[in-house]
Amino acid sequence: MMPPSLLTRLIGWLCAPDLREEVLGDLHERFVLRARREGEARARRRYWRDVMSFMRPSVLGRPRLRMPDPAMFRNYFLIARRNLLRQKTLAAINISGLAVGLASCLLIVLFVLHEESYDRYHANADRLFRMTTEGSIAGKEIRIATAGTQAGPALVRDYAGVEATVRLYREGTFHVRKDHQVFKEERVVFPDSNFFQVFSIPLLKGDPKTVLVRPNTLVLTETMARKYFGEQDPVGKTLTMGTRGLFEVTGVCADVPLNTHFHYDMFGSISSVKMRDKWLASGAFTYVLLRKGYSVDRLRAEMPGLVRKYVGPEIQEFLSMSLHDFEKKGDRITFGFQPVTAIHLHADFEEDTEAQGDARYVYLFSGIALFILAVACINFMNLSTAASTERAREVGIRKVLGSFRSQLMAQFLSESLVVTFLALFIAVDLVVLALPAFNELTGKQFTVGVLTEGWMPAGILTGTLLIGLAAGSYPAFFLSSFRPAGVLKAAAATGKGNRGFRNVLVTIQFVVSVSMIAGTIVVYRQLQYIQNKKIGFDKEQVLVLHDTYALGDKRESFRQEVSRLSGVEYVTAGGYMPAGLSNNGTDGFRAEDEEQRQSVPYRMKTYTVDEDYLPTLGIQLLAGQNFKTRGNPDGILVNEAAVREFGWKNAVGKRIRTVGDGTPESRRLLTVVGVIRDFHFEDMHHSIRPLVLLFGQDNYQMAVRVRSNDLTALLKQIEAGWKRRTDSPFGYSFLNQRFNALYVSEQHAGRLMGVFAVLAVCISCLGLFGLAMFTVQQRRKEIGIRKVLGASVAGVVALLSKEFLKLVGIAILIASPLAWYGTNRWLEAFAYRVSVDWWVLALAGLLAVVIALITISFQSVRAALSNPVQSLRSE
Amino acid sequence: MRRSDLGEFEEVVLLAVAAMDSRAYSVAIAEELEKETGQTVSTGAVHAALQRLEQKGFVRSALGEATAERGGRRKRLFTVTTLGGRMLEEVRAVRNRLWERITPSVRLDWQDPFPG
Repeated sequence: MMPPSLLTRLIGWLCAPDLREEVLGDLHERFVLRARREGEARARRRYWRDVMSFMRPSVLGRPRLRMPDPAMFRNYFLIARRNLLRQKTLAAINISGLAVGLASCLLIVLFVLHEESYDRYHANADRLFRMTTEGSIAGKEIRIATAGTQAGPALVRDYAGVEATVRLYREGTFHVRKDHQVFKEERVVFPDSNFFQVFSIPLLKGDPKTVLVRPNTLVLTETMARKYFGEQDPVGKTLTMGTRGLFEVTGVCADVPLNTHFHYDMFGSISSVKMRDKWLASGAFTYVLLRKGYSVDRLRAEMPGLVRKYVGPEIQEFLSMSLHDFEKKGDRITFGFQPVTAIHLHADFEEDTEAQGDARYVYLFSGIALFILAVACINFMNLSTAASTERAREVGIRKVLGSFRSQLMAQFLSESLVVTFLALFIAVDLVVLALPAFNELTGKQFTVGVLTEGWMPAGILTGTLLIGLAAGSYPAFFLSSFRPAGVLKAAAATGKGNRGFRNVLVTIQFVVSVSMIAGTIVVYRQLQYIQNKKIGFDKEQVLVLHDTYALGDKRESFRQEVSRLSGVEYVTAGGYMPAGLSNNGTDGFRAEDEEQRQSVPYRMKTYTVDEDYLPTLGIQLLAGQNFKTRGNPDGILVNEAAVREFGWKNAVGKRIRTVGDGTPESRRLLTVVGVIRDFHFEDMHHSIRPLVLLFGQDNYQMAVRVRSNDLTALLKQIEAGWKRRTDSPFGYSFLNQRFNALYVSEQHAGRLMGVFAVLAVCISCLGLFGLAMFTVQQRRKEIGIRKVLGASVAGVVALLSKEFLKLVGIAILIASPLAWYGTNRWLEAFAYRVSVDWWVLALAGLLAVVIALITISFQSVRAALSNPVQSLRSE
Repeated sequence: MRRSDLGEFEEVVLLAVAAMDSRAYSVAIAEELEKETGQTVSTGAVHAALQRLEQKGFVRSALGEATAERGGRRKRLFTVTTLGGRMLEEVRAVRNRLWERITPSVRLDWQDPFPG
C-alpha cells in the first residue's frame, strides 16, 4: 500500500532538503493509518489534501538557484568572445541570421501593435459601441455601418442602461471658403454636441460641453486651424462651408490619432444640417455609450422590441406590409453593436467611415514573424551543435577539471545570450534603416520612437532574453552531455548522434520557406488576375474630373468646351464611378407584372447617368438601346445580373416600380430600354450584383474619354477652362489608377509577404550554408580518398548535395498541403479568384531546391575541386 | 512574554505535545486532535505549528527511529521546554481566573440560549 507516487515525488522535489525525510515520512504514515481505517480510496483523496497542506513557505525549499561568482560570469563572456572571434564565419552567420530575424519580428510587432491599438485610447473604450444596421432582404445580407438618424435619441430615451449616444452625420465633401481661398475638404462630419465628451479627442480650445451646440458652429483640428488661420486664434472666426453657409469656429481639437477608425478634421454641429429622419433611410454613424455594469448583450436582447416599435411602422409605410409578413417572407432587419475597439479589424460593413484593416492580415503577419524567428533560432541551434567537434575537447577538459554539467550549460547559454544581444543591436539598426521602406510597404507611419515608448524596451529585452535561452538551450544541453573519457581519448565522431534532430530542424526551415514562397506567388497571381481581368468597362484613358458641382450653372458650357477639345472623345456626367470616389445609390424595386400581385421588392444599386456614359466607359450594350438626349425620362438600363434577378427572358420593355420613400408619388414606374453587359462596379471581393441605370445628370464628377498623346497639354487646356469659370480647386484622377487603388491592402500584403518570404529564404540559406561548411570539413578526408580513387567532381558535389536535397524534398512534401490550404483560405475572400494550381507549388518547391543547391554548391564545389593531397597530407 | 506569542492552534498543539509526553510527533498529534475535536486536522498544519513552536522555543525536537509505516523514514519527536511549560501554565491561569468570574446564572443562560 503506497501513497500516490506522483504527488510524493512532487512534494519531495519542492520540499526543502532538510525537511524532506520527516515530511515524506509524515505523509506516508498518515496515509497508511487512514488507508487501514477508512480504505485506500479515501486515504488517497485525503493524501492529496495533506500534500497541499504542506505547500507552505516554511516547508518548501528556497530557490536553489545561486548566483554564480562574478568571476565565473567574466570567464563565460571571455570564452564566448574568444569563440566568436575564432570562428568568424560561424559567428557572422549566426548573428546576421538572428539579426535579420529579430528585425523582421520587430517590424511586424510594430505593425501588429498598431493595428491592435485602434480606438483603445478612448477613456470609455470598454463601454463604447457602434450601432450598425444588419439584416437580409430578398436573401441578400445587409450590413451597414450606420443606423437611422432617429436610432440614437431613441436608445437614450427608451433604455436606462444607455448613458449617451453620439451620431456622426456625413454630408460628403465641402468646398470651404475663407476670404478668396477655396479648399476642398473631404473629411467633414457633423457630430452630436457631446462628441468631445464621449470620444477622448482632446479639445485644445473651447469647452467640450458647448462647442457644438449652436447651429453653424465648427471645431477644427490643429492642422486645419493652421491651414486656414495660420498662427492666429481661429476661435470666433468664420468659414463658408459649401452651400451650408457661414460657420463660426468655436473650438480647436487635437488631430485625430492615427489609430482611430475615422479621421475627420472638421466637425460641424449636427444642428446645422437637416437629416433624413427615416429609420430605413441611410443614417448616421451612431455610437452608444453604455452605463457601467450594463452589458451590451442586454441591449442586443432589446433590439427586437425596438425594431417592432420604430421600424415596423416604416416597413408598413414603404413596403405596404406588416413587420410580421416581412419577417415571414424570410426578410430580417435588426441592429448590431460592435465594440468600438473592434471596428478597425473586424469591419466588413457598407458605408464605413474609411477603409479599415483586416484581422486576417494581423494573424498572418504575426504568424510570419514567429516563423522567421523560429527559422533564425534553428540556424543557431544547428550550427552550434554541428560545430560541436570543435567544442568537444573543451567540454572534456572542463569536466575533467571539475566543471558541473550545470556550469557548462550556463556557459553555453551565456554564449548564446551574447550572440542574441549582439544580434539585437544590429536588428535595431536594421529596423531604423528599414523603417521608411516598411512604412511605404504598409502604408502606415511608424517612427523609431515607438520602439522606446512605454513597455516596448522592457518587452524587447525580455523577448530577446527568451529567444537567446530558447535558441541556446538545445546546444547547451547537447554540448554539456559529452563524456570526457570519450571525447578526450580520440577524435570521437561527435556531432553525428544529433544529426537526426538537425535534419528535422532543417526540414522545418524549408517548410516555412517553401510555404512562404508559394504564398507569395499566389498573392501576386491573384493581384495580377484582378487587375487584368475583363472588368466589363475600359478603364484606360478615362479621366475623371472631380467636384464638377462647383461649376454651378456653368457646368454645361464647361462640358461643351471640354468635348470640343481635340483628343477628347466623350464627356459624361460621372457622379457614379466603378472605382474610387463615387456617389452611391440603392433603391428598392418591384417587378410590375401583368397580374399586379404583390411581388418581392429587390434592393438594388442604382447609377444615375446620361447618354454619354456607356461610350465614355466603354460599356457594351447587349439589347435594346442607350439613353437618348431627349428620351423617355422613365427609361432605364439594367445589367445582366438584374435581368437574372427579375427572372426576365426578354428584358426590354419590362416595367418595374420603385419602392421610394413610402409616399405614392415617390413610386416611379420605369421601363427597361436596354440591357448592358455586366461590369465590375464593385471590387472583386463581391460578385457582380444587379444594377439599375437611371437616366439623369449627376453633377458630382465628370468623366472624359481621351485619346491623346499629350495628356499634359490636354489637362492644361481643361484646367484653363475650369479656372475661367470658378475659383474652386481643380482636381482629377485617372480611372485605372482609381481601380488599382481598390486593392491597396492586398498589394501591401502581397509586397510584405514577398519581402518576408525572401528574408525567410535568406536566413534558411545562411543556415544551410553553415551546415554544408561543417559537413565538408568533417568529410574532407573522405572526399580526398574518393578523389584519389577516381571520383569525379560532379560525383563529389552530388554526394554532398544529396543529403540536403532529400531534406528539402521532404519539406516540399510537407509544405505543399499547408500552402495549398492557407492560400485557399485567403482566396476565399474574393468572389473572383485564381485557383491554386499544382504548378504553383511545384514552382515554389523548385525555387527552394535551386536556392538550396546554389547555397550548398559554394561549399561542395570547392571541396570537390580541392587537391586531395592537401586533405590527406596531414597524417 | 506576551500572550500573543501563542496562537490558538499552537496552544492546542503545545498542549498535545505536553500530554503525549515524549511520544509526540506530527502525525500522532494530528490524529489525536482529530479524535478529540471531530474535525479533520491536516498533517501540514500541525507540522507548521510545531515548526513555529520550536522557533519560539516552546518545544525542542530530535529525530527518532525509522519505522516501516513511514516507508523507512525517521520521525521528528517533540518535547515541551521549560519555557513552553511556563507558557502553558500561564495561559491556563489566565483562563482559570476568567472562568472563576463567570457567575452560575450566566452559565445557566448559555445552556439554553433560545428557550422555546
